[in-house]
Amino acid sequence: MNTKAIIFCCNWSVYPGLLLSEDTTVEPDPEYKIIVNMCSGRLQPDLILEALKDSAWGVMIAACPPEECEHDGNYKAKRRVLLLKRVLEQFGIEPQRLKLEWIDKGESVKFKKAISDFIDELKELGPIKKLEIN
Amino acid sequence: MPKPKVAFYWCASCGGCEEAIVDLNEDILKVVELVDIVFWPCAMDFKYSDVRKMKDNEITVAFINGAIRNDEQEKMVRLLREKAQLVIAFGSCSQLGGIPGLANFWDRETIFESSYGKNCPSVDNPKRIFPQTKSKVPEGELTLPAFHNTVRSLDQVIDVDYYIPGCAPPPYLTMKAIGVILSGELPEKGTVLAPEKTLCDECSRNDSKPEKISIKEIKRISEVIVDSKKCFLAEGVICMGPVTRSGCTEEGDGKCISANMPCRGCFGPPPEVKDVGGKMVSALASIVGLEGEENMSDEDAEKLINQIVDPAGYFYRFSLPTSLLRRKRMSNLVKGEK
Ligand code: SF4
Repeated sequence: MNTKAIIFCCNWSVYPGLLLSEDTTVEPDPEYKIIVNMCSGRLQPDLILEALKDSAWGVMIAACPPEECEHDGNYKAKRRVLLLKRVLEQFGIEPQRLKLEWIDKGESVKFKKAISDFIDELKELGPIKKLEIN
Repeated sequence: MPKPKVAFYWCASCGGCEEAIVDLNEDILKVVELVDIVFWPCAMDFKYSDVRKMKDNEITVAFINGAIRNDEQEKMVRLLREKAQLVIAFGSCSQLGGIPGLANFWDRETIFESSYGKNCPSVDNPKRIFPQTKSKVPEGELTLPAFHNTVRSLDQVIDVDYYIPGCAPPPYLTMKAIGVILSGELPEKGTVLAPEKTLCDECSRNDSKPEKISIKEIKRISEVIVDSKKCFLAEGVICMGPVTRSGCTEEGDGKCISANMPCRGCFGPPPEVKDVGGKMVSALASIVGLEGEENMSDEDAEKLINQIVDPAGYFYRFSLPTSLLRRKRMSNLVKGEK
């Protein structure tokens, strides 16, 4: 599987803009997959853990910038990411594999750049090592 | 009709689960009237060979407590699985990995080093003599069970029929489970024989919670005395009640809560929670610094979050081996690409 990054993004802000900016004639980049959620504040950490456990090299959450989320979910997402990074570190997983990016409505170019930068960072880190249980 | 045969066995555990059987008090006499105890090494004199001699499925039910830490435990539980019609994972260690499962933040090498090697200040071992699975002595060969790198829950090693949670399981749940099994009306395989609600749902302090909890400062239970009627979380003390199954007492209120201690999570997650730590990250980070969050700088948010000491150890205190990530990735343990 080529997918390196799982990107969670919000159905009400950045995702619609991204859809409009996508060239549908071009094959989607297999190195990342976008999962649409209802608000960064609704994203449950177990989903992030699941992605990292299964195959992803890293997870990015694209959230509305401060003051831009209608539900203030972005502040929650920020604190969850801070705490989850510390948990990951205790599991021997580099905290940089989890990233929160503030992306506003219509910032598709910035979003795409953030994704490709993130994938570059993940390539530096390599895949998460597979567990040998013995 | 012959009486049903029951076995009890312990693996990586503290002995508390054995104590929990003894804590049935006079009820144990009722149990003994109804069943034959055919194997219980902690309390009665049985040998492994007694079990080996039994026919397959001869034991009606085997209660196995403790996590799987070494070879001997693994062999014994595999044997008991062959001989028993039903296997019950008894207690947190067996169900979730428990306290011994916290060793999954290390591996065999680092654990041995801190028990027998240079990381143990009270041990003088200049020749670096470490446990060996086989050693020659004038009298012959001595053997020790091999110590695994990773602690596993019982169902990560053998097929398990039912679970009784708790560190240790309360006697009333054990009696109920025995009753259910003897009645022959068995619940669906894989059932946790305990209530499904969270501890918060049943907690008498729940009503004291303000509508919106916001924690300004994380306090450790050793630093404060919490009013015995107030919710620990609302007071800034981490309580695992929101992500933990209720049932540690028959009355509803948690055992630790009644002793004015926050819940540590020994009953494990209720059915809808997939990963205790993930859920706790969600629950706790939502309320830490909630008030005034829009004006909180990134640095202040980080400082506040960093007041939570050892988050993984706290959240997965009883469930590290059965968490989604299972153990710490360590260089000498990991191999190959995903
Ligand atoms: S957080 Fe703890 S003290 Fe508060 S209601 Fe839940 S179980 Fe009770």
